[in-house]
Amino acid sequence: MDRFAALLLTSLICIVALGQFVQVITRYVLQIPVMGLEETMMFPTLWLYILGAVNASRENTHIRANVLEIFLTTATAHRVLAIVGEVISLIIGIWLTTWVWDFTRYSWRVWKESPTLYIPTFYGDVALMVGMVLMMLWSALHLLRHLRGMVKGPGHG
Amino acid sequence: MVEIALLSVVVLIILLTLGVPLPWCFGGALMVMYFIGDSIMKGNILWGIQQLGNPVLLAIPLFVLAGTIMSESGIAASLLRFVSAFIGHIRGGLGVVAAVSCAVIGAISGSGLTGIAAIGPLLIPEMERRGYPRAYATALIANSSILGLLIPPSVTMIVYGWVTDTSILACFLATLGPGLLIMLNFSIVNLIMARKFPLVLDEKPTFSQLTTEVTKRGVHAFPALLMPIIILGGIYGGVMTPTEAAAVAVIYSVPVGFLIYKGLRLSNFLSAGKEAATAVGAIMLMILFSMILSQMFVMEGIPQKLVGTIFGITEDPAILLVMILVLLLLVGMVVNDVTAIILIAPLLLPLMGAIGVNPVHFAAIMGVTTAMGGVTPPYASILYLGARIGNVKVTAVIPPAMLLIVTGYMPVVILTAFWPDLSLWLPRFFGYQ
Repeated sequence: MDRFAALLLTSLICIVALGQFVQVITRYVLQIPVMGLEETMMFPTLWLYILGAVNASRENTHIRANVLEIFLTTATAHRVLAIVGEVISLIIGIWLTTWVWDFTRYSWRVWKESPTLYIPTFYGDVALMVGMVLMMLWSALHLLRHLRGMVKGPGHG
Repeated sequence: MVEIALLSVVVLIILLTLGVPLPWCFGGALMVMYFIGDSIMKGNILWGIQQLGNPVLLAIPLFVLAGTIMSESGIAASLLRFVSAFIGHIRGGLGVVAAVSCAVIGAISGSGLTGIAAIGPLLIPEMERRGYPRAYATALIANSSILGLLIPPSVTMIVYGWVTDTSILACFLATLGPGLLIMLNFSIVNLIMARKFPLVLDEKPTFSQLTTEVTKRGVHAFPALLMPIIILGGIYGGVMTPTEAAAVAVIYSVPVGFLIYKGLRLSNFLSAGKEAATAVGAIMLMILFSMILSQMFVMEGIPQKLVGTIFGITEDPAILLVMILVLLLLVGMVVNDVTAIILIAPLLLPLMGAIGVNPVHFAAIMGVTTAMGGVTPPYASILYLGARIGNVKVTAVIPPAMLLIVTGYMPVVILTAFWPDLSLWLPRFFGYQ
C-alpha cells in the first residue's frame, strides 16, 4: 500500500510539475504556447491535492494542534483523547461529505466543460467525493484500532 | 452575528485543543455557522473547489517538492560546505553557517521545515562534535529554519497574496528585509553565546588556503547555488510566474540530485514525492474548509463589524497594532502559519486599512509573527521536528529556543510592525506600491 501511494502521488506531482515546465518552455522559449494545457493540468492537480489528503488520513499525519496531548501523561488518557478526536472527525467529516455529495450531484447534472478542450469538469470535481469517502473510511479504521487497543489495554493497537 | 462568529472560533479552538485534524476543526466551525448562525452552505463547496483550482496555489506543492528533493539529494550538504568555507573556522562560525545556510535554502524552498530537515542531520552532530550543546545547536537550526518562510519564495506569502488579492511578488519582497535581519540577529546572538562553549576550532587557514577551499567548494556548490538564481531571477526578471518558477526548480533539481550530487535514488525520490504530496494534501484540504469559513465570515460582514467593535475600544493605531501583534502571536502559537493567515488576514485587512497599514506591510507583519509560531510552543511544529532530528528532548530545546526568539526574533517583529520602511523599501524599489 505504501509503495502504491508513493508511486501514485509521485506520478501525479511529477505530471503537474512537468506540465508547468512544458508551459514555460513552449511559451517563453519556443514562443508557441500549448492551447488548453493549463486547463488540462487542473485535473491531475485536484486529484493530487485530494489523494494527498487521503494519504495524510491513511498515515494519520493531518495537521493537528495537539495542545491537550502535551498535558496528558498516561497512555490511557492519550487513547481516550484519540478516540474523542476520531469520533468528532467522523461526525464533522460525514456532515461535510453530505455537502460534497450535493456538490457532486450538481456537477454531474450541469456537466460543465472546460473552455478550450471541452473536458467535463466533473472528472476533477468527483475527486473530492472520492477523497471524502476514503478519508472517512480511514478515520473509521483509526477509531476501530484505538477502540481495540483500549479494550486490550496499554501496548496494543 | 458577531457572537455566532465568535462562537464558531471558540468551537474551532476547542477542537484544535482536542487534537482534531485541522480540516475537521474548520468543518466544526462551519457547522456552528450553519446550524446556529443560519449561514448558507449550499454552493460553498463549489466556490471552494474553484478557489483550489487557482494556478497560484500550485506553486505550494511544487516548492514543497523542490525542498524535499533538496533535503534528500545532497544539494543542501553542498551549500553547507560552501558557506562553511568562509566562516567555519572562526569561533561561533558554525552557528553562523547554520543561520546563513537556512537563509540560502529559504531562497530555494518555500517551507519552514526544509532548513531543519536538510541541515539538521548534517550540522547538529558536527556542532556537537565541535563543543556546542546539542540542544542549543538544535534550537539554533530550528529557529533559523523559519527563514524559509521569510526569504522568498514563501508558501505563506503565496497564500496571503492569494486570500487578500495582494501582489505575491510584493509580499515576497516585504518579508525579505525582516528575514535577513533575523538571520543577522541569530548570527550575532550565536557569536556571543559561542564564547561560553568550550569549542574545538580548526586552525585559521592562510589566505591562499582559504581561496583554494572557497573555489573548490564553490565549484561543487555551483549547481545548487544556481537554483535560487533561477527561481528568483525567473520571477523578478518577469520571465516566469512563481508557479512556473517552482516547476522549473523541481525539474532542475531532479537531474542535479540524481546525476551531480548523486544523493537522489529512485527509492528516496518516490518517498520525497509522497511526502510532498501528503503534506500538500493536508494543507489544501485545510485551505478548502478554512476558505469556506472565511468566505462565510466575509458574507456576513464580520470583518466590518469587527472593525466597528474594535474601534469602540480604541482608535489609537499604535495600541491597535500592539493588540494585533499579540493576537497574531497567540494564533501563531496555536495553529500553523498558513491556517493563521487564511483565518486572520481577510478578517483584519479592513481594520489594517482603517488605521493606514498598507496590505504589503501587513503581509510582512503577518509573515514574521505567524512564522514565529512554528518555534513557539504549544504548536511548535518546526521545533518539534528539530527535537526529533536532533534526538533531543523537547523540554531541553525550549530554553535555548526561547532565548533566540526573545533576543533574535522579537525585536524584528516589533521593528516590522512599527517601522514600515523595513518591509516596504524593497517592494517600492521594485516598483510595487
